[in-house]
Amino acid sequence: MTLHSQRAETYQQKPEVVERHDKTFFGVREKRDRMAKALPEWEDLRKAADQIKRHTVTHLADYLEQFERQATANGVHVHWAIDAAEYNQIVYDILSSHQVKKVVKSKSMLTEECHLNENLEQHGIEVVETDLGERILQMMKLAPSHIVMPALHVHREEIGDTFRQQGLMEHIGTSKDSGVSANPDDPNDPTYLTYVARMHLRQQFMEADAGMTGANFGIAETGDVVVCTNEGNADMSTSIPKLHIVSMGIEKLIPNYQAMGVFQRLLARCGTGQETTVYTSHFRGPRPGGEMHIVLVDNGRSQILGNPEHWQTLKCMRCGACMNTCPVYRRSAGYSYTYFIPGPIGINLGMLRDAKQYSDNVSACSLCCSCDNVCPVKVDLSTQIYRWRQQLDSLGKASPMKKAMSQGMTFLFKHPAVYHGAVWISPVVNWLPAPLIQQKLNPWAYAHQMMKFPQKSFHELWNKELKNEK
Amino acid sequence: MKIGLFIPCYVDTLYPEVGVSTFRLLKSLGLDVDYPERQTCCGQPMGNAGFEHMAVPLAEKFDQLFAPYDYVVAPSASCAAYVRCFHPNLLKEHRCETASKTMDLVEFLHDVVKVTSLPARFPHKVSVHNSCHGVRELGLSSPSERNIPPYNKVRDLLRLVEGIEVVEPERPDECCGFGGMFSIEEQAVSRRMGIDKVKRHIATGAEYVTGPDSSCLMHMQGIAEKEQLPIRFIHIAQILTAI
Amino acid sequence: MSNTKETILSRLRDNVRETYDMPDLGALPPITYADPVAEFKQRTTTTAGAHLIEMVSDGDLNEAIRQAYPDAKIIASNLPGVEAQLNPDTATVAELERVDVGVIEGKIGVAENACVWIPQQMKEKAICFASQQLVIVLREADIVNNMHEAYARIASTPSYFEPYKFGTFICGPSKTADIESALVYGAQAARGVTIVTLRDKDGKLPNTSYQVH
Repeated sequence: MTLHSQRAETYQQKPEVVERHDKTFFGVREKRDRMAKALPEWEDLRKAADQIKRHTVTHLADYLEQFERQATANGVHVHWAIDAAEYNQIVYDILSSHQVKKVVKSKSMLTEECHLNENLEQHGIEVVETDLGERILQMMKLAPSHIVMPALHVHREEIGDTFRQQGLMEHIGTSKDSGVSANPDDPNDPTYLTYVARMHLRQQFMEADAGMTGANFGIAETGDVVVCTNEGNADMSTSIPKLHIVSMGIEKLIPNYQAMGVFQRLLARCGTGQETTVYTSHFRGPRPGGEMHIVLVDNGRSQILGNPEHWQTLKCMRCGACMNTCPVYRRSAGYSYTYFIPGPIGINLGMLRDAKQYSDNVSACSLCCSCDNVCPVKVDLSTQIYRWRQQLDSLGKASPMKKAMSQGMTFLFKHPAVYHGAVWISPVVNWLPAPLIQQKLNPWAYAHQMMKFPQKSFHELWNKELKNEK
Repeated sequence: MKIGLFIPCYVDTLYPEVGVSTFRLLKSLGLDVDYPERQTCCGQPMGNAGFEHMAVPLAEKFDQLFAPYDYVVAPSASCAAYVRCFHPNLLKEHRCETASKTMDLVEFLHDVVKVTSLPARFPHKVSVHNSCHGVRELGLSSPSERNIPPYNKVRDLLRLVEGIEVVEPERPDECCGFGGMFSIEEQAVSRRMGIDKVKRHIATGAEYVTGPDSSCLMHMQGIAEKEQLPIRFIHIAQILTAI
Repeated sequence: MSNTKETILSRLRDNVRETYDMPDLGALPPITYADPVAEFKQRTTTTAGAHLIEMVSDGDLNEAIRQAYPDAKIIASNLPGVEAQLNPDTATVAELERVDVGVIEGKIGVAENACVWIPQQMKEKAICFASQQLVIVLREADIVNNMHEAYARIASTPSYFEPYKFGTFICGPSKTADIESALVYGAQAARGVTIVTLRDKDGKLPNTSYQVH
């Protein structure tokens, strides 16, 4: 059993939680479908996005140089980090040279990848996540369970309790008293809790000495960094503090504004089923009197480019559509996966990060191929998972049971005489008492009633009857 | 036109009646159908489990065995898809003869024979199980994720049957959770997917679940029986030959 | 650091196995509408969740704002003729954080998604995000079909990024669904947005700055 399958089994202990999780994310998938079907050019857009990304990642060095030239000309400081350690050091150096005590930060998977927050906190810098979901998780000391909707697995009662423990309601009062609730009788009304968080975060923005954002896109031709949010938290984080640090994986580059049109149209439609995010912000330079830094982070990406079977993961723009459609993700949730990005893309990115460490997620796929069909940039997700499975044995990570079964079957199927002999005795199984079959050693019996073997196989029927009908 | 009948291992041993119906259906259409007796398995179970190298000798044998036929037809979408999509990559040493001419029964009837009438009668309400590999590898129906004109070859064929009422479940092409050894390695999630799928089929009010892939039907049937969920399972070949 | 850069670039160059050409995006036929203005307005009040005020170009914007936000105490704007207590060219960010209504100008409206392009034309862009309510004035003549058209305009208008190097598309009020998927307006930025569309009185396209009385 893999860690994923064990954790997923534990998750199944509460069927109502599974059902809610599944319905929540399938609902997002259905919203995505409606978006896809509302645009006649949808499949052409996906094709264009795929081609643009193929082109860009295979010309990435040139585009990075162009991007750096433009950004520098725009008055931005550009930094390069080969790995997480160098990245964390660069960010810390910028912050400490500005005597920064508190950073407000919008969501960035790259900072999760590099463990930036822990690193800065060890240096005594307070990091405040400003995406509502991320802030909730930060207060609850939990990791994201999804890359776009990180806290949908947390229930509002838990969120309300956390906010009360943190004393956030002090000047607002209860749901009933606040005057903002959609349902004042619900002490954990989502509108009320969002208002509480708004007031709390407003104070954080005002107190912060620096704002950090990720980057959804970098435009080589102009040096723009494009950040898309619904809450406006990236914009609040960069409109109030004067120092702005962008963390950007090197694969986020696109060539120009023409390409930007393609990706802007796909990102929100695929990710959350919206026609657009509320904010699509183009940062081309520092605020008046401020400073803007971009840290370009490799952390393994340049090596992925050289991997013939998996380089296409570099096309991914982290929309999360593959998670929402994945029937296994929806029924096992983010924490069943051992890599911080779950679902089909997470399985692949985890293996690319460290194949031995993250091989437990490779089992989390029924090869239904739905992810391949929602991916806006046509990453061949299921094929890549299939390929990883082929490597598990050489990594020493193959399931002994699956290996034994595969070997047994191969032996049987390579020897037709033995195979047909085995088939001939299979009806005997029908006569064994059920308890003997429905035991732990028979993994099929976990979920299934044992099948009945018929008296005659097709092979026998062919020999005895059908052949003569020809 | 010479047809090589490919009866995958588990159909051979567990669902011989599906093979018989397939054979008789093709025969009734006036086709020359043969069953190469030394066939066993396409190698998909090993490949999906991560032991593709073990599937190579099986693919080689399959290729030799079926090379003489104009078409290879199987009553199992995922097996046909494995041959079509994966065998060429397994047989790197030489050109794969059979991959491009291997078809699932439904697509063969729909696209090659182009059947427009059948003498079948099946006065029941059936829910179509759109199997993942049938939909997304063989293109038996338009995947629900895509913005392409909707079509469904399984429904097109069922429409030829007298007395039948054809429906599809909510989430019409979500995976049932079989996935070969996935159902064993990830048994808890697989079970849950199966239960959810069977319940959606039942919610249509159908008496039967049908489809082109016996492996999905086998998985759902095992779950339905264990969970005592009241619905029956029947392969499309059996409906198309029912009288 | 320059060493790191060279390492990354050389690894990228060494690891490219085959290259792909940039596709011809002119071949992509993006969606267009018989009446983009009507599409834009319809989405503004539905999916975007904004209010819409339709005005002719010599209408009284100040009166419209007063009617829409009768309780507003602090209005901020640097648009000529707009009555405001604060000006984002001179106010501090701390002052702008307490603004009730910010009034700004949009340069492009997008029919397919109700986005409005707002190049930063004030010293402190905090007005665009920190204001409790945001009023965006937009000429109907500046409404395009889709994002491709919008980006083509932006690419050919360098002045959008002068003197301030920032621009944003805004689609209605700040939103979140992070708590149990319940859609809530007013997460961090504006809690409400009003789009004021301006149509020229004579049906002609206004091509210079609009009139505000």
